[in-house]
Amino acid sequence: MYNFLFYFLIELFGVAFMILSFSVVIIYLTIMVLSALEMRDFRKKNQYADYQDIITSPIAPGVSIIAPAFNEGSNIVQNAKSLLSLHYGRFEVIIVNDGSKDDTLQKLIDAFELKKTDYAFHPEIESQPVRGIYKSPNKSYRRLVVVDKENGGKADALNAGINISQMEILACIDVDCILSSDSITRMVRPFMEETNRKVIAVGGAIGIANNCDVKDGTVTKYRAPETTLGRFQVIEYCRAFLMGRMAWSRINGLMLISGAFGFFKRDLVMAVGGYFPKTVGEDMELVVRMRRYMEEKRIPYKVSFIPDPLCWTEVPEDQDVLARQRNRWMRGTIETLQLHRKIGFNPRYGILGMISYPFWALFEKFAPIIEIIGLIYTLILMIIGDFSAIYFLGLLLMVYLLSLMVSSFSLLYEQIAFNNYKDKKDLNRLIWIILLEPILIHPKVVLWAIKGHIDFIIGKGGWGKMIRTGFKTAEDRKNIETQSNSI
Amino acid sequence: MLKKTIISWCICLLVFEGFGQGISVRFQDSTSLINEIKEQESIPNLFFRFEFPFTEARGLFLSDSSFSWSKTDSSYISKPFTNGKEIDSLFLTLPADSIDLKFFVFEEKSDIKGVASYLETLHDTGDFILSEDQQRPEKDLVLMASRNHYEPLDEYRNKLMSDKGLFSVTLINILFIILSIFMIIFMVIFKKKRNQREYNIKAFENEIIEPLTTILFEKSLDEIKEMTPEMISSIYPKQIFQKRLFKKVLIDKIIGLNKKMKGDFKDKLKVLYKKFGLVEITKSNLKHRHWDNVVSGLVQVNEMDLTDLLPLVKEHSQSSNFHVRSQAGATLLNLSEKVDLKFLRDQSYPLSDWQQMHYLRIIKFVSSSKSLNIPILFSSENQSVREFGIKLVRMLGRVDLIEELHKINKQVLEEEKAELIKTYDVLGAHMEVDFINQCMTSDNSELQKEAIKSAGNLGNEESEKIILDLLNQDPDFPTRKILLRSLFKLNKQTFEEYILTHASHENLSIQAHLLDPVLNHV
Repeated sequence: MYNFLFYFLIELFGVAFMILSFSVVIIYLTIMVLSALEMRDFRKKNQYADYQDIITSPIAPGVSIIAPAFNEGSNIVQNAKSLLSLHYGRFEVIIVNDGSKDDTLQKLIDAFELKKTDYAFHPEIESQPVRGIYKSPNKSYRRLVVVDKENGGKADALNAGINISQMEILACIDVDCILSSDSITRMVRPFMEETNRKVIAVGGAIGIANNCDVKDGTVTKYRAPETTLGRFQVIEYCRAFLMGRMAWSRINGLMLISGAFGFFKRDLVMAVGGYFPKTVGEDMELVVRMRRYMEEKRIPYKVSFIPDPLCWTEVPEDQDVLARQRNRWMRGTIETLQLHRKIGFNPRYGILGMISYPFWALFEKFAPIIEIIGLIYTLILMIIGDFSAIYFLGLLLMVYLLSLMVSSFSLLYEQIAFNNYKDKKDLNRLIWIILLEPILIHPKVVLWAIKGHIDFIIGKGGWGKMIRTGFKTAEDRKNIETQSNSI
Repeated sequence: MLKKTIISWCICLLVFEGFGQGISVRFQDSTSLINEIKEQESIPNLFFRFEFPFTEARGLFLSDSSFSWSKTDSSYISKPFTNGKEIDSLFLTLPADSIDLKFFVFEEKSDIKGVASYLETLHDTGDFILSEDQQRPEKDLVLMASRNHYEPLDEYRNKLMSDKGLFSVTLINILFIILSIFMIIFMVIFKKKRNQREYNIKAFENEIIEPLTTILFEKSLDEIKEMTPEMISSIYPKQIFQKRLFKKVLIDKIIGLNKKMKGDFKDKLKVLYKKFGLVEITKSNLKHRHWDNVVSGLVQVNEMDLTDLLPLVKEHSQSSNFHVRSQAGATLLNLSEKVDLKFLRDQSYPLSDWQQMHYLRIIKFVSSSKSLNIPILFSSENQSVREFGIKLVRMLGRVDLIEELHKINKQVLEEEKAELIKTYDVLGAHMEVDFINQCMTSDNSELQKEAIKSAGNLGNEESEKIILDLLNQDPDFPTRKILLRSLFKLNKQTFEEYILTHASHENLSIQAHLLDPVLNHV
């Protein structure tokens, strides 16, 4: 009996893996086609777009740039100046000092002649107590607002900034990001274009600044990073931003806007209760909750994506730092999916519930687990002697070639759309990484993700109980906050 | 029923199939089988033993050590023998009448049928060769082999083809290899072509710029107008001028220069555009089936003032493509003799902020030279067009149209009322204070907030009363802040009195905010 069950399971897993492998192939091919179509349309649209008008037009919406800062004393003044020099008419820069232990606040006060004000505001979204709001009497810095508050993490700092913000659109960024001078004009465009649907959020592509030349807040010369891990992330970012998100944007299925560079409709962020500070994946969680809100209210909406390189960041080239980042990303994904599990396979939530959520659950959350099970399955087959080497090699080759194809496709994209890596040597290095990534780096990424799963299970970080309960509706987050306050 | 009948037939056939046959196909009876075994030195997993009952036991042969007799419950049994050729010689030493020969297959006792069946199987798998086959000359074997259909390769091929999983994996791998190689090759070729194209564009730009600037600076507008086709064609080498890319670069260059230059030069460039025959390209662009080419044509018409093509442009003003109708609208606004804004009034698609922004820029530009019929927009059936009309009054500072706006005060939707109030506020339309006061008590929060904000600048005593009433209704913090700000602007004394009598934490903090000089406009 047990013997039968064992062999039955072996057969069952075999079929499941076969189906999964072929669905991966089909899904990635579909993503490639969709992203190609989206990129083509995007480039066509951009050909005749005149962004000069937005800078001065009274019709263009106002933008509040919110940048949380924690122990950023060494670069904060330079970063703030860079943000203040963006080309746009109506915008404010809100820097939230999230209880830094260094001289971040003092440096800002000195550099911008800031004065503590009697700014009256009502914290519509809960955050750690605000110690003071600073503004400069110097007209040159009239756009700058500095919020000093108790430490509460990035999401909490963003919530404090949202409470203070005055404009219709929120640009939530990492303070150490380098923004292109025309980043706001380009990101604001989708909000202004749509008429039939409300654009609730716009995501931007993030470029990798490691080893690049930066002048006046813009990357002037691109170079591939020096290390293998750095180069791998170039390929990974191309895959994620130029391919994945473009494809999801095509079918209005985007579930993630990078926390380093995302634009949101303020009224909607307020309506859903801002960021949820108890998860490490606050960026993804907010987008899902906003989308969920629109679906529940039956309001037509869109989440857009701009593939232009408008924001650059330094990526970790140290293995330990990268491992921690990937661990955090995985926990963020699990927490978000857990919080919103109600939408999974729920036709009421349209593409979000029927396509985006299942994809994220299967191919992002469970992917590392499936890979490990696959490995164990192969070992069992070897032990019981039911192992077909030709099959194994065939499937292994298939997966390798798929990875090769997807990566080379995304690099090709980069070359067609932007051609940033002009040096032939850089291109060659990146092609080498494409060839080696599945063997050298992917196993590590899987292990880091597995560690993320383990950390989630043992309750490291996050808000265990609440995440297990999940949100019944998008607006639940506000009720949960109230409950937590009353306890 | 038919199925049952067929099954019954099959069972019957199977049952009766064995009747009338020997113990197997190759061995007609037990004698032929034993004779065959006697011809074999060994058969895998087959051995035989001798057995005789106790009653027949005789001391003479029992003591024969070559048999190693052992005792069972009812008989004596010899050790196992494998060599069939020894059967006869062994029998000779035994009393033949009472000895039994017993066969064992895989150490299990087997009857003669079982042995026959076992040998059949061995024969089929090639592990057992009949003695007569062993004795045949080599030549016959070759002949026999040549008579058989030998197809090992076919079997291998069939195995690959019949294993669907393996076949699909192989197929996908081939596809992936091809696609990957194709992509890498494409990437390299594309990069090369792109570099070549960029190089050509640069070369063409250098080729274009000198003769073009020479004409622009050395020839007057009239001289350019009088240039013959021969003179024009002699400007650039014929071979290069024929090239599509060259013409594209020429168009871009002329349009680029037109944007940068002023006065006479603009006219010269427009004349040259026509003289070079580039209008034909514009025309074909306007008729193109790809929307991006149509937009390109519309941009060319707009920049080069190709008014002759306006009828073609008009056809695109109601296009379902946002970019086409947006650019067509901009071109019509820019080039039409009479900017009566009729096409805008009749727009069936909602106007996006993006379109409004572009139209506003053009309207601002042409408003000084052309008469604009803005009020026509107020009668549009399209809400976004009506709202744009109201915004235009505000952004162009058309105080003369306040009366026209007043006429629609009561007809329009709440969102439009909010736009009206913003416009009255910006234009300082104090005469509309009653309308503003009325809107301050609206259920629409956006409209109410706009009205309260405007009341701070345009309000009267009635407005003050309404503000105080609203403050007494315990509004939310943002509304309270707007109300107190407006009250502060309207009448500082009333504001102070209110704060004194309602010294709540919220009111005091708002008061501090309003009095903070650094927060003047926040």
